[in-house]
Amino acid sequence: MSKSNLKLICSALNKMRVSCVTARSCHFQPKFRPPYWYAPKERVMSEDMLTQENRDFIEEVRQDKLNLQIAMESPLAKVEAQEVAEWDPTTRRAGLIARKIGNYPLWSKDGKKFQTTLLQVVDNHVIKYTPPEEFKPMKTTKLNWREKRKLGCLLIGSETIDPSTVTKDYCGLFSSVGMLPKRHLFRFMISPHAKMPTGTPLFATHFRVGDYVDVRAKTIDRGFQGVMKRWGFKGMPASHGVTKTHRRPGNIGAGGQKARVWPGTKMPGHMGNRWKTLRGVQILRMNTKHNILWMLGVGIPGETGAMCYLFDTILPLRKLKTPPPFPTQPFVEDLPLEYYDESIHRFEGPTITFEES
Amino acid sequence: MSVIRKSSLDILSVGKWILRRDCRLLSAVPEKVEVAEKAQEEIEKLSGRKRRFNNPVLEYRHVYPEFLPDPNPKWRNSLREKMERADMLKRRSQIDIPEFYVGSILAVTISDPHAQGKTNRFVGICIERKGCGLRAEFILRNVVDHQGVEVKYELYDPTIQSIQVLRLEKRLDDKLYYLRDALPEYCTFPQDMDPEMLPEGTPVPLNPVQVKLKPKPWLERWERQDLKGVSNIEEHLKEKDRVRRELRKTPWEKYDLMKQYRKTIPAEDQTEIWSEVYNQLQQMRVSRKKLSRKRLFTTPKPQLG
Amino acid sequence: MFRSLINRLSSAQTCGIHTTPSLNEVRLLTRLRVVDNSEIGKRAMAEGKPPKVICVYNKKRVGLIGDRVMVAIKGQKKKGILVGLKQNQKVKVPKFDSNNIVLIDDNGTPLGTRIHVPIPTILRTILKERTHAKGADYTKLLGIATRFV
Repeated sequence: MSKSNLKLICSALNKMRVSCVTARSCHFQPKFRPPYWYAPKERVMSEDMLTQENRDFIEEVRQDKLNLQIAMESPLAKVEAQEVAEWDPTTRRAGLIARKIGNYPLWSKDGKKFQTTLLQVVDNHVIKYTPPEEFKPMKTTKLNWREKRKLGCLLIGSETIDPSTVTKDYCGLFSSVGMLPKRHLFRFMISPHAKMPTGTPLFATHFRVGDYVDVRAKTIDRGFQGVMKRWGFKGMPASHGVTKTHRRPGNIGAGGQKARVWPGTKMPGHMGNRWKTLRGVQILRMNTKHNILWMLGVGIPGETGAMCYLFDTILPLRKLKTPPPFPTQPFVEDLPLEYYDESIHRFEGPTITFEES
Repeated sequence: MSVIRKSSLDILSVGKWILRRDCRLLSAVPEKVEVAEKAQEEIEKLSGRKRRFNNPVLEYRHVYPEFLPDPNPKWRNSLREKMERADMLKRRSQIDIPEFYVGSILAVTISDPHAQGKTNRFVGICIERKGCGLRAEFILRNVVDHQGVEVKYELYDPTIQSIQVLRLEKRLDDKLYYLRDALPEYCTFPQDMDPEMLPEGTPVPLNPVQVKLKPKPWLERWERQDLKGVSNIEEHLKEKDRVRRELRKTPWEKYDLMKQYRKTIPAEDQTEIWSEVYNQLQQMRVSRKKLSRKRLFTTPKPQLG
Repeated sequence: MFRSLINRLSSAQTCGIHTTPSLNEVRLLTRLRVVDNSEIGKRAMAEGKPPKVICVYNKKRVGLIGDRVMVAIKGQKKKGILVGLKQNQKVKVPKFDSNNIVLIDDNGTPLGTRIHVPIPTILRTILKERTHAKGADYTKLLGIATRFV
């Protein structure tokens, strides 16, 4: 008796479960779908009962691959002989991935002090180029993208890492084009004739001293902040009978007919950790050995050690006027170690004196 | 017997603890160095060991404090620090930036952009020295024509033509801001002061002078700052000030090891830094010494002629 | 000596309220020190009634080095130029222990014939910029300075 009851209950439960699953169907497409090349990067590390020999073998293979990658010659040399593309002011070149490594002052030749930010271009390689016809970043309902899109997508990676530390999907992105995985990956929209073959190394000499660039980076994460810190409100007086409202925003909207809060009202909330672009930053100095760029000013978003992305500026008055290295500057052995802007004083130069004019 | 053994063990462990502590505490802050030295002496007394830091490389942290980076880990980056040090050495190859301390009397000559073709020389006592790397700066103070004047200079500013040490000495405190409220004779130095030469190999003398403050109002509450170089601070205090001084004391801070750790650069990092710059600095020192000797020999000649 | 004693006493008595003690700004009703040897300035300082600012001629109404101010001195309105400030200054610009002023007339000619404290050299550039061809000539002030720092 009891057994038959149990069976009945079980079958009922089974039915319920199945019906539950079928009932949950999603009718709406998500508005944003990650790009097709996006793959989760971090992998949960586990000790898979590896013996020491196996570990050594893996390490050996990794070293071999790394050496191969280092020894790889720039494929740009072969391509350039076939087709020499010309730069013109409407061209969009590729950019660079750099790390912000700190600030220090430089002096100009008339004795003025400039604060500069140092950006290090870390081990940049071209991963893949997708021409505009094949580039479909998102599924859209509109079908006119084919006519509109004129820019191709160039993937650039920075900082080679151990393949065993990332997921298989992420690693597959790189192994399909014969590269080792990179820690940072970024998509640059470029003109089709500015494309570069896979494996082309990029250096700080991609830009020139005196050029202006746009820097895109994430601002420092400050967490949930009040209006005084987030929007610079004045707050309210510390005394004179004010109680419990010293750092509060006060009134946030009017009554009467519009008895609501207007959209976009400045309120407390999460501050920082969002993408910002600082446009028109001048390059004052360049080190070709360590690939360091000295940028004018301290306004580059992010804290020391954060990654940022450099592009040719789009500001109309600071755009490139003379052709830059195109598509990029190939590796040259005997470059001078340092390039300085004409206005900048070299530290090894003699003391500045002001001559009578 | 067992009691004696236990006590000796205790002493040993204390000694070990102090030793470990001041291994880390190699800072450029002179106050702490004194503490470390005291601790060293204690160790010597306790365990009869020899001093561990006879390393001349580590002595450089007092002579060139700006070569040590800011200890805040948010701003540390080894490559940036390396580039900064290289630039500092390049500048040092151009002009002689001598060894000086807070309390030394310096003469700084800068090329003056406001009067073209001329230079501007200022003599004064160094009342503060701060900043690291290329941002290092110091403040000179003097009383000129009965008017107190202070000028701030950057150590690596390329418009500085020369920095000359007129009198090399240290004072009892590591900031001499109280000279602003002291009687003017304590910071009056003639503009045409002659440099005083110390015989070679002597340690930097400590000037134990204690200044007299003017009556209140003061610029800061000097009584709360535990100053050693002020003699008459108690005269000007009211009962209220004494009570508040007691209330504001923070006697626990000297036991706060984490606080001290955050303010200092670990010894391993320092050895790395000094080994990188030691050779060049030493070469510069030697060549400067040779030059100055030559100058000493050559200068009397034109006078004779 | 006697004068300085009087000054000190008077400052001790009148220095009860300072509007901006932390910044040492020169703004409305700040007491200044006249550092030239003009008759009115000398007498005002000797009597222990240093001039008071009643107007700073710039947009921010906070006096910086080289700015023109109007002062109330011994019951009269006079103009002057700030030649030294107590406020923190930029690198290589001297900072003084008192706020110094040199009295001038409307044409920019100083009332005195000598300045007995050092003058910052940056004033050479600043005053040259302020001087226009037809307006007041402030650079006459530099001629009576005894020492530059």
